[in-house]
Amino acid sequence: MPEKRPDSEMVHGVPEVAVSSTTTMANRTGSWKYTRPVFQDMVAPCNATCAIGVDIEGTMNLVREGRLVEARELLLRENPMPATTGRICDHPCESSCNRKSFDQPVAVHSVERMLGDLALEDPLPAAVVRIRTGKAAVIGSGPAGLACAYHLVRMGYEVSVFEGDEEPGGTLRYRVPEFQLPRVVLDREIERMRALGVDIRCGVRLGRQLTWKYLERFDTVFLATGAHRSRALGVEGENLPGIQYGLDFLHEVGAGRAPEIGARVVVVGGDSVALDCARTALRLGAEVQLVFWGECEKLAADPAEVLEAEREGVEILYQTVPLAIRGSEQMAEEGAREPANTISAGISGAPTGMPMGLECIRMTLEKPDGYGGDPIPAEDGRQVLSAQTVIIAMGEEPDFDLLPLDLKHDQVRVAVDELGRTSKSAVFAGGGIVEEPHTIAHALGSGKRAAIGMDLYMRERAGEKVEAPSLAGLRYGRVGNFSITRYRGDDPVRRTGEVNEVAGVERINMAHFAPMPRRVERRMKPSDREGFEEVNLGLTQKEAVAEATRCFNCGTCNQCEMCLIFCPDVAITRREGDKKFSISYKYCKGCGVCAVECPRGAISMTREGL
Amino acid sequence: MSQIQIKDQIPTGELMSSGHFACPGCGGSLAMRLVLKGLGPKTMVALPACCWTIVAGPWPQSSVNIPLYHSPFETAAAVASGIRAALDMQGDQETTVLAWAGDGGTFDIGLQALSGAAERNENILYVCYDNEAYMNTGIQRSSATPWGAWTTTTPAGHPEARPKKDILAIMAAHRIPYAATASVAYPVDLIRKVEKARAIRGTRFLHVIAPCPPGWKTSDDETIELARMAVLTKIFPLMEVEDGQTWRFSMEHPGDPVEPYIKRQGRFSHLGPREIGQIQLDVDARWKMLERRVEMGI
Ligand SMILES: Cc1cc2nc3c(=O)[nH]c(=O)nc-3n(C[C@H](O)[C@H](O)[C@H](O)COP(=O)(O)OP(=O)(O)OC[C@H]3O[C@@H](n4cnc5c(N)ncnc54)[C@H](O)[C@@H]3O)c2cc1C
Ligand SMILES: Cc1ncc(C[n+]2csc(CCOP(=O)(O)OP(=O)(O)O)c2C)c(N)n1
Ligand code: SF4
Ligand code: SF4
Ligand code: SF4
Ligand code: SF4
Ligand SMILES: [Mg+2]
Repeated sequence: MPEKRPDSEMVHGVPEVAVSSTTTMANRTGSWKYTRPVFQDMVAPCNATCAIGVDIEGTMNLVREGRLVEARELLLRENPMPATTGRICDHPCESSCNRKSFDQPVAVHSVERMLGDLALEDPLPAAVVRIRTGKAAVIGSGPAGLACAYHLVRMGYEVSVFEGDEEPGGTLRYRVPEFQLPRVVLDREIERMRALGVDIRCGVRLGRQLTWKYLERFDTVFLATGAHRSRALGVEGENLPGIQYGLDFLHEVGAGRAPEIGARVVVVGGDSVALDCARTALRLGAEVQLVFWGECEKLAADPAEVLEAEREGVEILYQTVPLAIRGSEQMAEEGAREPANTISAGISGAPTGMPMGLECIRMTLEKPDGYGGDPIPAEDGRQVLSAQTVIIAMGEEPDFDLLPLDLKHDQVRVAVDELGRTSKSAVFAGGGIVEEPHTIAHALGSGKRAAIGMDLYMRERAGEKVEAPSLAGLRYGRVGNFSITRYRGDDPVRRTGEVNEVAGVERINMAHFAPMPRRVERRMKPSDREGFEEVNLGLTQKEAVAEATRCFNCGTCNQCEMCLIFCPDVAITRREGDKKFSISYKYCKGCGVCAVECPRGAISMTREGL
Repeated sequence: MSQIQIKDQIPTGELMSSGHFACPGCGGSLAMRLVLKGLGPKTMVALPACCWTIVAGPWPQSSVNIPLYHSPFETAAAVASGIRAALDMQGDQETTVLAWAGDGGTFDIGLQALSGAAERNENILYVCYDNEAYMNTGIQRSSATPWGAWTTTTPAGHPEARPKKDILAIMAAHRIPYAATASVAYPVDLIRKVEKARAIRGTRFLHVIAPCPPGWKTSDDETIELARMAVLTKIFPLMEVEDGQTWRFSMEHPGDPVEPYIKRQGRFSHLGPREIGQIQLDVDARWKMLERRVEMGI
């Protein structure tokens, strides 16, 4: 055996048997990097497209984790009526959903509806403690007015809502057909707002029972009277008896009075309101044709609803332009068929049941096989559709007769800024009377923006030194709606290094997702649809939770730990107690693997040292 | 669940430490990190010359918190066999002896030692992390370098002209109890295979694809994506072979076209559509052969 050399005898400074005694942690290999990963939560595209400004991503994530109570609290922060929007919102969030590039968009509205319905079963909440001195008046109890009142009450204000109709809800109660939105759902959502402290006084119409003078006792007023004046069709014969306007027709039905219509009804229009008129008339027992001047794709309604209308039996005549309405004499002259029975026995004396006709012309494309051709009347395209009732649904506009003179407006809209401020101090406006699409989500969103504006206004008036918030910072992304949670600064979702940019599909690493088809809501079979029972039955809770697991959770870290698992330098760790992730820049070499592998784009690479 | 969740399936213990000397985005260093998660602290390593010689750190440092023997280039399997014998003498059956070598040390110079050990069915786990060339010495080709690739010894004018050696078949032919492939892009599969191998006695062989940004001429952040694409294109299928006879695929391989994988790597940038088409044909043909093996055994 060779003699053992003393330990001190080193070769090139290394002992004969070199045994390591320490780790490599003394090497600050992080100094090699020139780019630096940072946890940077971004905005999901759906959040930035929802006109209400709901934290959809956060809600989906909580549902995915099975935390349904927290999920609906998060939802209710921004949206006072999720059971309603889950049913009738046209869900623009889904058209921007990143998942559509993978398989199909997440059915956000179905999950929202499930959470909303869950909240309906809850006991009513306690009233919010009034901590503010200001008092606000809201005119109109449609979604815009209700949202404004809801958010102000939640901030601690006293709010009175004045509603001209007999019951609250506006268009939702009186015009959206019950087969789309059961009144029990609307009732319960409004009941919850009332429980929180929203005071709604019905049968009080501004301009009649209520004066502008009286309103002076409030610190601020929110005008949300909606758009209820029907646009005219503008053809000869429009003033004949037997003609109804869609909004009035639906209002009668909504108010529980069955309006008189004939057995054959022709609806003229090109949007979801026209479709609702047709489907309502159908339910009253009529045979219904819908006349629309454009092509199928141009019909401004959810294609699924168009399909439902057709399945129920509405005949849609596309590319058909109305020319004139003919009275009964004219029709008789032309030998039209005998008058049929009226359907509902309504207000007596109305000359219903008389035959009338809608003269129209079918259009065709100039160059039927090519693009760019203009529509031209088809040869032999002229026809007269006989009916006893013609319903005109050409869109709606607001009625500004009772606005004060110094409030700036044009024919169809009150001018407001992004906080809903009108030209008149203390007066705010939103919903159907301002320039924005006529949807429930926009109405709820504008009510929320105005609530923020009114809060700022009232605090200033109360002598508080108010720091104006960065409005751009309240928006989701650059163009999304304001987040009241951001405004209040009490986000329950833990976020790191938030940047207000949308996490587009290029930031999603699809390798970390498995295909899963979108859940389809059950609908009642057309043959089973009776009266005004709800058609769309939604998803079960289990299905909706499964649907939420399809969400990518775009832009916000959901602690999946992919970054931690794939780091070749063991530079990402998670603390025991608060589970917080951290990157050790002492050792991170800036390879960027974590940023690429993050399934949802919650890590960004930034220039080192900048 | 549509979100693929793996965190609960990855052991949290870390036997590798930061501050090691691998390049940014090194697939080989991640491979070691994951394999050690699967093996745990009762492990000893025999390490021949390769990048990992450097990654392990200079004396008196070590980037792995377990005994690791640096050994000559061609000797991984032999040194591992020796360590095993010594442990057996001590009555230690618990400790896993891991031979950890690069593709050069496995496919080329170390093949004789490996074949000997396998033939004796030495009770060792041999892991080859495959970066498809001699990277530590500056990107020279090995018999694991794929057809068409550039290396400093197979320049673009005369790129690698031979197909990658079928090391899995060679190992299977030794009738060892377990041989498998794995990819750093599939950590759950990789760790499952390591844990399975750990429980088996005899020679176990694991071949791990480990992209190398400087050697493949790719960006540092593409490592996992490439390791994933290699699998999805069937270029590097995930497989297991038991007793040299039972061949199995570890997952469904969709067979994505090879072109995007090839195009992302600078080492293939001289290849035109014809050559890429040839690679696709080779991959397809090899896949057919693998399917036959799965169906019938060797
Ligand atoms: C038939 C129909 C179907 C629709 N379907 C959908 C749908 O499926 N999805 C969707 O997103 N949107 C739909 N909409 C649009 C949506 O309902 C409206 O955009 C939304 O209700 C507008 O809200 P608002 O609060 O501004 O007005 P409204 O909901 O119209 O409420 C205004 C309220 O103000 C009251 N009011 C008016 N004047 C006074 C006054 N002087 N004093 C006191 N109170 C007054 C009214 O009585 C009414 O209650 C539909 C609209 C119609 C007409
Ligand atoms: C006998 C012998 N020949 C040559 C070398 C030089 N050498 C050290 S590492 C290495 C390449 C190792 O390649 P590989 O096994 O693929 O591992 P990698 O470096 O790629 O990780 C070479 C050639 C050596 N150490 N010993
Ligand atoms: S995947 Fe989820 S977070 Fe991303 S856009 Fe769709 S719903 Fe929103
Ligand atoms: S994967 Fe690790 S080393 Fe690479 S950038 Fe991320 S933290 Fe840094
Ligand atoms: S990989 Fe997962 S844990 Fe890491 S930042 Fe992204 S979401 Fe968060
Ligand atoms: S050369 Fe390649 S294998 Fe070697 S340390 Fe760098 S990245 Fe890893
Ligand atoms: Mg190598």
